This record gives sequence, structure tokens and C-alpha cells, in this order.
Amino acid sequence: MSQLGFHFNMATCIGCRACQIACKDRNNSKVGVLYRKVYDMESGTYPNPRIDHFSLGCNHCAQPKCVANCPTNALYKRAEDGIVMHDKAKCIGCKMCLWSCPYGVPQYKEDEGKAGKCDLCVDLMAKGEEPACVGACVMRALNVGEIEALRKQYGSTADVKGLPSSSTTHPSLCITTKKR
Amino acid sequence: MIKFIEKIQNHMISRRSFLGMSAGAIAAVSLTGCGLTKVATKQAEEIAKTEGQWLTAACWHNCGGRCLNKAYVVDGVVVRQKTDDTHPDTPDYIQQRGCARGRSQRHQVFGVDRIKYPMKRKHWEPGGGKKELRGKDEWVRISWDEALDTVAGEIKRIREKYGSNSILVTGGSEMPRTLGLYGGHSTHWGTTSWGTWRWGPSKFGMEDGYTEHSINDRLDLRNSELVVIWGGNPAWSAGGSPMYHYLQAKKAGAKFIIIDPIYTDTSETLEAQWVPIYPGTDHAMALGMAYTLVTEDNPALNPLIDWDFLNRCTVGFDAAHVPPGADPKENLKDYILGTYDGVPKTPEWAAEICGVEPETIRDIARKIGKTKRVALFTAWAAARTNNSDSWPQMFMSVGAMTGHMGQPGQMTGVSCHFATGNGGPYLVKPGGNGLPVIKNPVTDRINDNEMWETILTGKYTAGYNMKKDINIQLIYHGYNAVLQTRSAMNKGIDAHRKVEFVVSHSHFLTTNSKYADIILPATTEWEREGGFSNGNREMLIHYTRITQPLFEAKHDQWMAIEIGKRLGLKAEDIYPLSEKQQIFNQLAGATVIKEDGSGMEKLVTITAGDIAAMGVAGNPQQGRITLQEFREKGIYQVERKPGDKYGHIAYEKFRQNPEANKLKTESGKLEIHSKGLSDLIKNYGFTEIRPIPTYNRAIEGYEDTFKDWDNKIKGEYPLQIINPHYFRRSHSIFDNIPQLREVYPNPVFLSTKDAKERGIKSGDTVLVKSRHGKVLRTASVTERLMPGVVGLPHGAWAEIDEKTGIDKAGADNILTGPIATGQGTAGWNTCIGEVEKYNGETLIPDVKWPQRII
Repeated sequence: MSQLGFHFNMATCIGCRACQIACKDRNNSKVGVLYRKVYDMESGTYPNPRIDHFSLGCNHCAQPKCVANCPTNALYKRAEDGIVMHDKAKCIGCKMCLWSCPYGVPQYKEDEGKAGKCDLCVDLMAKGEEPACVGACVMRALNVGEIEALRKQYGSTADVKGLPSSSTTHPSLCITTKKR
Repeated sequence: MIKFIEKIQNHMISRRSFLGMSAGAIAAVSLTGCGLTKVATKQAEEIAKTEGQWLTAACWHNCGGRCLNKAYVVDGVVVRQKTDDTHPDTPDYIQQRGCARGRSQRHQVFGVDRIKYPMKRKHWEPGGGKKELRGKDEWVRISWDEALDTVAGEIKRIREKYGSNSILVTGGSEMPRTLGLYGGHSTHWGTTSWGTWRWGPSKFGMEDGYTEHSINDRLDLRNSELVVIWGGNPAWSAGGSPMYHYLQAKKAGAKFIIIDPIYTDTSETLEAQWVPIYPGTDHAMALGMAYTLVTEDNPALNPLIDWDFLNRCTVGFDAAHVPPGADPKENLKDYILGTYDGVPKTPEWAAEICGVEPETIRDIARKIGKTKRVALFTAWAAARTNNSDSWPQMFMSVGAMTGHMGQPGQMTGVSCHFATGNGGPYLVKPGGNGLPVIKNPVTDRINDNEMWETILTGKYTAGYNMKKDINIQLIYHGYNAVLQTRSAMNKGIDAHRKVEFVVSHSHFLTTNSKYADIILPATTEWEREGGFSNGNREMLIHYTRITQPLFEAKHDQWMAIEIGKRLGLKAEDIYPLSEKQQIFNQLAGATVIKEDGSGMEKLVTITAGDIAAMGVAGNPQQGRITLQEFREKGIYQVERKPGDKYGHIAYEKFRQNPEANKLKTESGKLEIHSKGLSDLIKNYGFTEIRPIPTYNRAIEGYEDTFKDWDNKIKGEYPLQIINPHYFRRSHSIFDNIPQLREVYPNPVFLSTKDAKERGIKSGDTVLVKSRHGKVLRTASVTERLMPGVVGLPHGAWAEIDEKTGIDKAGADNILTGPIATGQGTAGWNTCIGEVEKYNGETLIPDVKWPQRII
């Protein structure tokens, strides 16, 4: 079965947020709604500090808790490519998905009274374009594709400090971590 | 003070009216810019299903990048933006990808806080009218006729009463044309972003890093084994591709050393050796390195100095090589060794000043001296410091001593802004717009550091031992942000409240406009005929109109003409060419590097039909691409690959034969002894320097944080405050965009040590003060900052609480002082202050602040 997912290169991300804003633009998200979010994680002590960034959108998990717990089946996994889709018509805005996702990905849209999330820019992908976040990255730190192919190319790490264990939902995500 | 509660209510009304207008009155409206309701979201979905058109949109801000920005216009509405996808992306032939700011452009153009109509300060009347209310008065909408009549009337009245030089034009190219024909006007000048790289370097043989470059191109950078970045954080400060270029050098094997008070994302990503240093003390460290090189060099056993390069290509390093007529004692080597002043500039001497361990100073000197191919880079920030006129010369001297110039992988110079890691002449560029120059008959030019005090005191420095009287009574703000972006803003506000008239062309209620009497709403580049953006040397962007002018906004050129007509001038004298003709001229004159690299040739093929369609005068021509292709793609980019003919090795010919390829200095060589430089600095009339690069301690620099330097007892202002560029803004532009405020909260960065000593934790509201002003910000406590240094991001729009006089936005220039040194240097990174926990009301996040809607 096909499963699309993301690759994220932590070693080259500069935390600039171009992905986050491109995502906001594509989804017309208002202030307060972020389908993709960049996290900063400082570590170490002066004069040996470190700074890591993590750009996190939906991981289109193999076993998505949001889908499992959605009472109206508004969230579902698309058969052909494993994308976790959200059917707005069925969404009752109960926020169960917000509480279920260990990555904190689904967002609640106050103005609509409904949830919303990353759909991997299916409309753009259908036209042969990249998802907005991927095409936005100035450091080329984000990639999209068949997750198995991405794992072959970049390794299968999906666990880094600060992220929930990948064993919970089996995210379609692989991460290039820093060597240190 | 503007009544913000009322303004929030107005905000809601504005949203509705904006929506109402999207039905027909406006050609293109951004959906999210309107603050859409549920109904509108449905509209948005419907519109999104309709086929639209991608247009190339301007991204015209001074961020250090120039990226391809595209707007998707559906049925007259901008629904989405994207960046470069005009060709497949590779590190060699790279897409010109934009940043979070550029991708928020539609929220700027269609922001609900745009100035929509000409506005007048309620209590203004000819002569000023309650001038003290500037910045806190209410605003009244007026007609264009009233606005133009008022502005023209005040120009005429004030010129007649006080003379032409009583009118100070702060920027914009438009009104200087009108006023140039109407007796002239005073101007201001300063080193702005460059710091002391602005004018001095041409005297000693290096380039300023913007108009010309002393570094090699980006593909050659991959030949460097060691890249030293002395102050410079392209990850935050140079939009577009520079960080990606640096990453390619890293992948090719280069090691990085970054000397900077902040552990930046540039340091992290490049896995650099981070060397924290006190701001404004770089010169001392360089001297300590030079001492190491001089004392440890052994041509046979331990060659660290490139004597061949020094002897052939420079003057002034040692007594044997001072320029003719100069005192042989005045040479760098003897200064380093302390031969005549008794102070050897040892790494220990340097360490006391710069805070870098002596062993680290030695280590870096040795690495630079021993490594074959080194790129020695600096950005302008280290030179945006008081009394630093000799710093660029010292930086050059380290490069010259180690011979890292003029060869593959070896380079020394400024690497920032457009040319970060990518030096060389433009490979593609637009032509001129053909507008004739209009001369300004008034010669009064006021240095930025003195500008506000001059208005208050009536005196300015006009040269060595030369003060002049002047009585500024009209401040004309064209396209600029000087009240926000020049030092000593509190004095600036006082100055604005002193003069008889202030007018501002504006998109928003910026700081310039807030303290004005009349605001004239200007169109953005998206509402104009189109234009060109060139940034890095490899590409040229041609953007087009995205929408018709919003509300009553007008082109600055139109304003200049209309005001001119009211002053009795002829429109055709001010602007003899239409906007379209100006664009045509730039198109017709655009050139691109020939395929064999031998020179430039025409870029655009223009047909008689194109000329007729544009309604302009011109001749058909043959070029590389058709006009249609250029417009549709919106960009022409020269494809680069290793070994191509478009590379650049700075100083290559000079190094090979300095006698045949003289530099434009007095001696024709790199001048480690430069009388031209010391004369230049003296003639500005502020402070003086020697012909050799001696260390000069900065006013309000590190040493001034002590009341007793010898015993290291700190004074009233123990911290150094610097102004890192911040991704929320390009200088002051974009500060008002809600989605950028959400992403970038604009805190003040404090080191863990300093915060702890003051009982401050992240999230606390803190008062940051200098002898020049006070600001509030939310603290962000970090291990990434050198203790003793505070990072207050550059460019936040001042929001002064009239009761306390404290700026709640954290505007950097509230804290900087009116200090003019050397070449009239903008010394913003030398500022000393103190931080304390604030006992008043806690700041709410900027994103929750009401927008400035009038």
C-alpha cells in the first residue's frame, strides 16, 4: 500500500519558519491556527550552547490516533496514499482529534467551529507541485514522498528528543538528525 | 494617544467594508487580509476552485535577499502566494526561494491597517497647531485636494519665511525632484547599514560589500578549507539563498569559525567553532591575532605570514614599506609589537578588551595563517559601532598578512546582504529608467547622528572645525523610516514636535507617520505598473501589477507632480517620463552576461508590437529572451555550474601584477598605512584616526560599561545592547503583520547569567534602559548569548506610553544615542544599558495588540 510522508533534515533547518508561513498561506489559516509549526529547542550551557529546530506538520501516521478517536469519521486515511484527510462536512468540532494526536497537529478553527489539519496539499500534489512547506524551504530541509523510499534514502529515524515515541502512532516521518 | 478601543471597533467595520468592496470596487483583494468570517471562508473555497493566474509580485524590501514572489489571482482576488518553481532546484542552479516575510506580502498589501485616505492631525493648523500633540492627536480624513493644497501651502509658506534649507527631506526619490526645482531642500546622510564599511574602505583598497565586492563567488567558496565569519548571521540577516550557499561550502569540506556575541543559527548549522566576543572590540582581537602571526611566523619552519603578498601588494605593514613621505615609525608591525607606545598588542592585551581567551586568539591566528585556502569574511554589524573607522582596515590587514586574497578559495572582505558568500559583478541587470537627474541647489547635509539634535539646537557639523547654523521647520518624510531607524528616537520625537510642519507618505501608521501632521497614502509595488528587483548577481526579477490602487492610495510620483503643480512647476519638468516609459527603459537597457563570459549583451527582445502595446517610445531590439517570456516567468536567471565562465576571484589580476592592475588608492596598493583614510575621517569633523589601524575604544562601547576599568568595577550601564536583525521584519517593514507577530514574538534576549543576577526569567516583562531612553520587552533567557550582552531585535515600531515615556514595543533606537564619530558612523551596536524586572503592567504578546487602524 502506498503511504506518503515527510522527511525532515534537522541538521540543516535554521528555524526560519518559511514552511510554517507557506502552510498558513496555502490553508488561509488565521492567527492562532498553525497546521505546521516550528519548535525551537535550546540545550547546553554557555559557552557550549546548542539550538535545534523541528518543523512539524501532520505525520500521516500508519496508526493515527486522531482517526481512531474521531466520533464522526470526519478524519480518515485515504486508501490510495495513506494521507490523513479531514472531511469538514462531518466534523462537529468536538476537538477529540486535538486531544488524541500526540504531536499536537490538528487545530481548532474558532471561526468555523471545526477542526482542521495538514492534508499534504493534496490539490497541489495532484497538479505535480510540492506541498507548500516543502517548496518553501530555503535550506531544502523538507521532502515529501513515499515514506518507504524516503526511509531508504534518509534512514528511518522518527524519534528525537522532544517528540513522542514513534511506536504510538507509527508516523510517516523520517528525520535526519545531527551527528553530535 | 489614539483611542485603541475605538480602533478595534473600527477594525471590525473596516473588515466589513473591505469585504463589501471585494465584490467589485477593488480588482484584487487578499482573502485572509480581510479577516474573513465564516461566510467568507465559503467564498474562499469557491474561489479556490476557480482557475486563476500566477503573477510575479514584487518583494521589494531591504532584507539582504531578493526572491521570486508569485501571487495567485483568481477572479480579482489574491488567494495564495508561492515562490520560485520556474526551474528544477539544484545547489548550482538554485531556485530563488523567499522567506516567511515575503510570503506574508499579501497580508501587508491588503492589511486592514493600510492608510486608506489622506489624513490630517485633528489639531493641526498652519504653523503647527498644538505641535506637542503630534503622536497622540486624533486623525481626520481629508480629501486629496485638501491634502495636496495643505502640503504645497506649507512648503511655500515655510520656504518664504525660513528659506529653502529649512525643509528637510528625509528620503524617497520623488519629492527631491519637486523640491529640487523649487529652490532645493536640506538632506541627511549617514553610513546606515554599512557602518564604517561605507566610505573608508575605498581609501585603503577594499570594497563596501554592496555596490562592489572583495570576495569570490559562491561556487569558488566551495574551494575554501576554512571560512571565518567575523560577525554575520545570514540565517537571520540575509534572506534567500546565502545560508544554503554556505552549506554547500560545508558539504565540500570547509570548517567554519564564527566570531559573534550570539551563538547564531548560522553557527549551529555550519557546526562552527563559536568565538563569543564583546561588541565593538573586534579590532582588539584582530590585533592579538596579528601579534601571534608576527611573533610566531618563521618563513622556513612555521610560515604564517605571506611576505610575498605583503611586500608586493600592500604599503605600511613595516618600516621598510611605508608610503613615500610617511614617518617610518607609523607602521602596523611596530604598533603591533608596541615598539613606540610600549604596549605590545599581545593576545593577553586583546583578551582583556574583547573577552576572548588568549589561547583562542592564538589558535585562530594560527589556523588562518597555516590553512592554505581561507575565506575571511565579515558583515557590516561589527562596523556599526562608534569609533570603528580603523576596523575595516585592520580586517583587511589580517587578510593581507595571511595572503588570503585573489586566489581560488582565498578571499577577504565583506560577505553580507545581497552578496553573502557570493561576490562579483552582476551577471544580469536592468537598464536605467532614463529620468534626468534634478540637482538640489541646497548643500546643507546633516549627519544622521546629529539630525534630531540639529533640529532642536539649530547647529550641525559641516566638516573639520566647521559648524553651521540651520533652522529646520518642515520635515518631509518620503519613502523611508528615519524616525524609527536612526539613533536617538526620543530626540527625534522632540524634533518632530518642534517644527512647524511634518508630512509623511505612507502605507501604514508607521513611526514616521504617527508623529506627522499630514499622511499621504502611498501605493505599494503591487498596485503599480511593475518593476525590477536585482539582488544576488545571478538573477533579475521583473514583477508586474497585481492590483489596482487600494482605496485612495496614490503613487509617490503622482504626489510629487501634484504638489509640484501647486507650487507652479510643470509636471513634465518633474517627471518627463511616464511610469510605463521608465519601466520600458529599464527593460530595453537590461543586459546579461554573454555565454562566453566576455561581456554583456541585451537581455530582452522587444518588438514594435510590444512597444505599441505598452504605449511607449522606443526601438525594437534583439535580446536573449522575449518580453513575453520575461513577464511570464518573472525572472531571468543565469545558470551556474562549476567551471563555468561566470565565476569571480576578487583581486585576482591585482595579486598577479599589482603594478599593472593598480587599485584606486593613493598608492595603487592595499594600504595598511592610509593617509587617504585618516584625512577622509578628519575632514568629516567628528573624530580622528591614525593612518595605520590602531584600536580606538568606542564611545558607549565595552570599556564604558565600567566605572573603573583597571579594577573592573561595572558602572551604571553594565550591559552592551546590540540589535540583531530579526525575521519578523525587514528593518522596520512587516512589523505590523499579524501572522508574523504570531510567529516571531520579538522578545529581548538576555544571557542566563545576566538574567539570573537580576532575578529575571523567560516570560518576565523587563525594562531595558540606556542613558537615552527606556523600553519594555518580554525576556527570553538564553545560553546562546555572551554574558554582558543584550540582544534587542532591530526595527520594532515604537509604541510610547505617554504617561511613563517608556516604549512598549522595544524599539532599538529609543536606546541608541546621538553620537557622531568618524565617518558619521551609525554606531547602533555600541550602546550600553541595564535591564531590570518591570514592576508595572505585564506586556501582552504583540500579536494581541490592536492594529493601528485610522
